[in-house]
Amino acid sequence: MEIFLQLFTDYTIRTVAMGAAVLGIVSGSLGTFAMLRRQSLLGDAMSHAALPGVVLAFMLTGSKAPVVLILGAAVAGVIGTLFMLTITSFTRIKEDSALGIILSVFFGFGLMLLTFLQRNPGANQAGLNSFLFGQAATLLVRDVITMAIFGGGALLLLALFWKEFKLLSFDRDFGASLGYPMVMLDVLLTSLLVIAIVIGLQAVGVVLMSAMIVAPAAAARQWTDRLGIMVVLSAVFGAVAGVSGSLISSLERGLSTGPVVVLVISTIVFISLLFATRRGVVWNWIRRQRQRRILRLESVLNHMFKLAEQHDDWSHPHSTAVIQTMSYGRGVAPTLQALVGRGWVTQVDKDLWALTAEGAKEAQRFARRTEVR
Amino acid sequence: MVTTAEQALEVTDLTVAYQEKPVLWDIDLDVPSGILMAIVGPNGAGKTTLIKSILGLIKPAAGHVLIHGKSYRENRHLVGYVPQRGSVDWDFPTSVLDVVLMGRYGRLGWFKRPSRQDRELALASLDKVGMADYAERQISQLSGGQQQRTFLARALVQDAQLYFMDEPFQGVDATTERAIITLLQDLRARGKTVIAVHHDLQTVPEYFDWVTLLNVRRIASGVVQDVFTEDNLRQAYGGRIAFLHNGTNGEDGTTAVVTQGPNSVQVAPAIVPRDATA
Repeated sequence: MEIFLQLFTDYTIRTVAMGAAVLGIVSGSLGTFAMLRRQSLLGDAMSHAALPGVVLAFMLTGSKAPVVLILGAAVAGVIGTLFMLTITSFTRIKEDSALGIILSVFFGFGLMLLTFLQRNPGANQAGLNSFLFGQAATLLVRDVITMAIFGGGALLLLALFWKEFKLLSFDRDFGASLGYPMVMLDVLLTSLLVIAIVIGLQAVGVVLMSAMIVAPAAAARQWTDRLGIMVVLSAVFGAVAGVSGSLISSLERGLSTGPVVVLVISTIVFISLLFATRRGVVWNWIRRQRQRRILRLESVLNHMFKLAEQHDDWSHPHSTAVIQTMSYGRGVAPTLQALVGRGWVTQVDKDLWALTAEGAKEAQRFARRTEVR
Repeated sequence: MVTTAEQALEVTDLTVAYQEKPVLWDIDLDVPSGILMAIVGPNGAGKTTLIKSILGLIKPAAGHVLIHGKSYRENRHLVGYVPQRGSVDWDFPTSVLDVVLMGRYGRLGWFKRPSRQDRELALASLDKVGMADYAERQISQLSGGQQQRTFLARALVQDAQLYFMDEPFQGVDATTERAIITLLQDLRARGKTVIAVHHDLQTVPEYFDWVTLLNVRRIASGVVQDVFTEDNLRQAYGGRIAFLHNGTNGEDGTTAVVTQGPNSVQVAPAIVPRDATA
């Protein structure tokens, strides 16, 4: 708890939290589009492919300035994406296999470069390791500023091209028939996704960054049916996961941020899958149970009405056993009690039930509703 | 009608190939305006490819296309498009009204958001397809017929002269089919041209004025009475078509039965008038 208080007092912690919030918001918003366009795996491949870019950028320049490393990551990510497109268009290899190839080849190459650097003392490579699993505590003010500039630019473009990106994501062919350059828009949106990924690499790491692209969007989708709300919700989830993940990981020395962030966002996804008001598993179950109860209520009422029709007096009582024979499944006693509760049935004797005037009316209403038109 | 003199669509020497295999070979089409035209042909005949290459969605290997006398690029605003219903993700988080508003995007241009007037136009066209009550509905809650109506409303709001529709009757019930054909006839009455990929051979003479029979090559294209003949159908469908001759009610009719595979049952029976005046 103390750490959250320090959020307002401690300069370093505030820096880390702000950086995490920026990356959460940007990856959450752009992740929405990645998920809707079924590009979640592409995000994973791009983040892994970024590793050799980061290491090579450092090797070539000797600098660990965030702009340099982010640019290196972005270039490698883009090259990886281009390789993937080349593989899918010129060979018979399908997209998922191509993504797997790119992911493992680039990541393996990156790991090799990293090991090579570590075996060469003298080179001040400390800190590059944090790109593997993320180390939010290493974020400096200049890192956060770089992240905010790139991320803010990406969000600005997202807002500007909102209508066009929606068209691209929902109905690409229709958009093309209207004259919009869909290929260009696709390249632009994918580039924004690259930005969202690379600005999060230092804090969350290449291995788990894709969780920040996919998970917030998946959770947000559970709560809403509107694209705009989904993007905002996803950004909020991303920010919550980013900030709490980096703060918790800063508590312990050497605790990587990536895994903690993933734990937090997974919890959010889990809760959303279960409890979301529209699509949540729990709510659906409750809704189904309620519908089933109403259905049972109406069918027993209907059966009693049919029985009553056989007599001159519709309030003629019947025993539980008789009513039970007309219904299948569980005992009708609880349903009869519920009908009594609604005032549609009266309990004449210990084991005898009769329709009330109100119950007869309801049964007729029900019959009319279900009549075949 | 003055407009009939004008050609809505001219396609010359259109050839499309995926890798080595030609999908469309040397297609010529001349379609006058103010008619309803069906494109029929077996699976893999290139019907969808024809529409997509006319719209510039697929790059043809050769040939050129004129829409009302000018290139597609110049006359794009005269064209409306209804893609196959199954080509989009109906679980996308958006409302019916939002989808229909996309029909206005072409006129809006870059960066501009739909105005109140655009919304009113979209609502009016939803009303035309009988979907006014569904404007705020999430699209995943729609039935197949309602999805098709939503797509039609989006095309109507484009306010085009020439409409391309890819299987507008696919998977809709009889009521929706009637509603759609009424809508198409209404478009024709207003001088518009509709070109639709169609699968039910039986309803071709009833619904359409013109027909193009396609199987990689153009088999025939023209007024239904002239070109929708047993001979042409046999050419388009090859061995996969059987004709049942019957003369009930004194009419000289022929029923064509299309089978898509060796073991499949009858897919579509068609009454083909052999007499041009029938």
